[in-house]
Amino acid sequence: MDGTIGILSQVAFWGLYSGCIYILLATGLNLIFGVMKIVNFAHGEFLMLGTYITFFLFVISGFNPYVLLVGSIPILIIVGVIVERLCFRPILGTGKLNEIFISLGLIYIFQNLVALIWTDEWRSMRSPFADILINLGPLQLPLDYLIIITVTAMILVSLYLFLQKTALGRAIRAASQNRRGAMLMGVNVERVDMLTFGIGAGLAGAAGTLWAVSGQVFNPYMGSIPAIKGFAIIILGGLGSIPGAIIGGLAIGMVENFTAFTLGGSWKDAVSFILLIVVLVIRPTGLFGEAEE
Amino acid sequence: MKRESVLFVFLAICLTFLLLSSGCTEQQPSGDGGEVRIGVVASMTGAASTTGKDIWQSAELAAEEINAKGGIYVKELGRSVPVRLVQGDDESTREGGQKAVSKLITQDKVDVLVGGYSSAVVSAHQAIVAEYRVPYIISGGSSTSVSHRNDIDTSYMFFHRPNTDDSGEASILFVDEVVRPALIGKFGFSEDRPLKLAVIYQDSPFGKGQLDAVKNVIAARNLRIEIIAEEPFKMGESDFRTVLTSVKAKNPDMIYSVTFLNELVPMTQQARRDVGLNTLILAIENNDDPDYYKGVGVYGDGQVMESRFSPYAVPRGSTEMATRQFLANFDKKYGGFAGMMGAATYESVYITKEAIEKAGSLDKAKVRDALATLSMPQMMEIMKGGVISFSPDFRESKFDLYVVQLAMDQASGEPRPFIVWPDNLKDREFVVPDWYSPGSS
Amino acid sequence: MKLFNPHDPRHLLTSALLVLAFLIPFVIGSNLYYLTILILMLIFIIYASAWNFLTFSGQGSLGHAAFFGLGGYAASLMAVKLGLPPLVTLLFGGCFAALIGVLIGLTCVRLREWFLAMVTFGFAVIIQTLIVSQLAPVTGGWDGFPVPKLVPPSFPGYLMIEYYLVLLIAIVIILIFRYLLQSRIGLALAAIRENEVEARAAGINPVPFKLFAFGVSAFVTGIAGSLEIFHFGYITPEIFGIDLSFWPIIYSITGGLGTLAGPIVGTIVVTLLWDGLNSLGLTYARFIIIGVLLVLIIIFLPRGLVSLPDEIKKRLKKRRS
Repeated sequence: MDGTIGILSQVAFWGLYSGCIYILLATGLNLIFGVMKIVNFAHGEFLMLGTYITFFLFVISGFNPYVLLVGSIPILIIVGVIVERLCFRPILGTGKLNEIFISLGLIYIFQNLVALIWTDEWRSMRSPFADILINLGPLQLPLDYLIIITVTAMILVSLYLFLQKTALGRAIRAASQNRRGAMLMGVNVERVDMLTFGIGAGLAGAAGTLWAVSGQVFNPYMGSIPAIKGFAIIILGGLGSIPGAIIGGLAIGMVENFTAFTLGGSWKDAVSFILLIVVLVIRPTGLFGEAEE
Repeated sequence: MKRESVLFVFLAICLTFLLLSSGCTEQQPSGDGGEVRIGVVASMTGAASTTGKDIWQSAELAAEEINAKGGIYVKELGRSVPVRLVQGDDESTREGGQKAVSKLITQDKVDVLVGGYSSAVVSAHQAIVAEYRVPYIISGGSSTSVSHRNDIDTSYMFFHRPNTDDSGEASILFVDEVVRPALIGKFGFSEDRPLKLAVIYQDSPFGKGQLDAVKNVIAARNLRIEIIAEEPFKMGESDFRTVLTSVKAKNPDMIYSVTFLNELVPMTQQARRDVGLNTLILAIENNDDPDYYKGVGVYGDGQVMESRFSPYAVPRGSTEMATRQFLANFDKKYGGFAGMMGAATYESVYITKEAIEKAGSLDKAKVRDALATLSMPQMMEIMKGGVISFSPDFRESKFDLYVVQLAMDQASGEPRPFIVWPDNLKDREFVVPDWYSPGSS
Repeated sequence: MKLFNPHDPRHLLTSALLVLAFLIPFVIGSNLYYLTILILMLIFIIYASAWNFLTFSGQGSLGHAAFFGLGGYAASLMAVKLGLPPLVTLLFGGCFAALIGVLIGLTCVRLREWFLAMVTFGFAVIIQTLIVSQLAPVTGGWDGFPVPKLVPPSFPGYLMIEYYLVLLIAIVIILIFRYLLQSRIGLALAAIRENEVEARAAGINPVPFKLFAFGVSAFVTGIAGSLEIFHFGYITPEIFGIDLSFWPIIYSITGGLGTLAGPIVGTIVVTLLWDGLNSLGLTYARFIIIGVLLVLIIIFLPRGLVSLPDEIKKRLKKRRS
């Protein structure tokens, strides 16, 4: 125990860890928003599906759960593509709030489908590295958290490379900057929509795997609150901006944990929204948001 | 046009359902005394559905057993009549509970109600029960704000559960009588050093009630226990790392946790593994469930829990046979373990039988009077004085609660509980675990 | 504006519904179960109509439970602490909710739809946290407190009286909405909803109108919340639950967004469907069916069930031609 510094840096570390989950959610939401200009409130259900898929693949195969990212990400990409095709494409360009309303329907469908198949009991799993501790200066940390943070960074770097270096990535960026322009340049925006939605869902799936591996419990209803916070993050960080999502995710992770540390755990959820409202009162377009469209 | 037909077909199906179901609710035979109808208020859907299923299945088991032995003898009718259970799904909401209970009372014309879980849900339909004067044996609603209400007539409500004061008192007495002397003995503390207790509680009526009870017991008995931290958390929380870090900084000797099972498992793991908080965590009775032992694994070793019904630690004595029989029958019928709420509901059905036979009538006022003066031998859960009876003031039954300590079981790879308190029930002595380190003196 | 026109089928239908509402306790019997379902249904009709009124101004809310609960708490505290009759404090509950609604509206009018949805959702979470923590000495925290009933149960047939009272309140509120929407305010709201920039160009300042819509919606929501609590006779912070924010949305969308009849039809159909599926013993499947219904209606029937007759007519015409 070397006093306050040790404690504060430990709280900061937990903030960093929970920030990782938020960053993956918010990046996906922002990618989708950038291209399609819609918000998927059912994004947390992809997180929830990710935890369940990881859990059952783990039970069946016994593989290292980090390897199971190879399973959860592609499965969620496929789920995302299907959801985009069936639910979001038909309402693109209709009423302003329709995508929020349709997300409500999707939330009910996903949560209860999972509950129907796998019951709504809480579940948890244990990582094979659970007992390994690493010494880092004043902190003694389980290896899992370091892996989780590294994996998140790797996913973000690969996403960056994908968006910068590949033709598909460039098409996504083009559609995100100017949808009509991209269409005129011969980009098949409908395909880009589907792909982007899939990638967004895949990122949520990865977050689901990391959630389960860290030993946190999950049930079919666990996704809604993290996703709503993910949405608060992209408003804070600026709609459509991926660096904004990363900074915002970290910020919310930190703020939440320091609030739990000072004000107590019951304010943990409320504080993100207080922050959001304060920011929006000062800047109605969000911290890094562009001015009116 | 094909796309729209999908919708029309769907709507048509919905409409059929509507008609079908409205037909279903009409066909309830009127109460002619041919059977005893017991309404089971259980959360079959929503947040509390796991417990709800436990409640319903255990009630079903009790009813089947009673019917297999010929039913309930009603003196007024001069014969035995079978029990019929009617399910009332409260959907874990206040609105759902009110609909379910009013349906049970007026449509299904039940003679007695049993069940009820969440305090908020129960409080929203208590007024109806008071008005229609149906005997209601409530096995949930542990907050005293439900049982000690005085704005309505609760004389028909009987509470077959320890309230938050009872379980708080038992746990704190255990801490004072066993843990504090053990720590003094092992670490050579002075006799008057207070035990430093941190309370981590769910931000809910359940958690708040326990916190108040703990404080009251310490103050009323003038115990040498000092509460050094009170940390609430949101219901359903799974990340306790920061709260635990903050508690660790205050150097507690012990943590008193008021949680649901899904919260206790990550809390224990995170305390021992992530935060390195090597202290005892005392948990509350509702966590004594096979899923806890499975989920917590090696991190549960040495932890303690207040309990009244355990799947593994069956107290010796008059209740042992009945408990083992119940667990075996439940497992045979549904596969798996029954929980504490199930056990209490199972007993409630038998309490109903006893009360009706004693009243010799299905008349609600007579059944109520029989319940008020009831004194039947304990069944599975250990009661004060060995009998189930309801207190004259708020009609609450009084439990003899016990405390278990967990020890790793190599065969299953999970910890198993052993009763360590009170003296008349214990299997083993409480031991301070090797990994334990006390708060600074 | 004519209140009743015998040649308008919609008016005929409405009057038929009204007559049914007045007679129904006599038809199906005045027992506890039916009256409970009917009263809760009416309360949610009021609530859904209030939520729906907000969409007339192009705004939306994902956290109306905040106003539902604030109304309930304000009215019941007033009734308990001052001993005033529930029917009086009801109005106070509405006014308090409206006051807070306007304050929230002040931050919201400048926001885009998605932001607005988030702010309202977050607001409900914040209010619930406040009620159970800092405000607990007044509100009783998680334990809540008992509240007098709308009509004291000592009255003979009190539930019947309660039903007619709530019915009357519902009718008055819907008539007020109807009046507002047909007045110049309604026209201005429609202009703002369709295109805010053009509305500004036409000399309409959207801010006071949007605030007005927010205030009225919160007021009526507060009344609905107070009614629910005076019906239950006990208040707990569960009144701020997420599900209570979502139900009026589901009812309104199913019935038809932006129509007066939509929330009424939606509430009746969805509640009956819900209770019907319940008595069939469906548990999770019930939610899935509601979810699928919602998705299908948004995609295929964007104007809700009330537009179904028109849609069918259109289809028949198409087939004939």
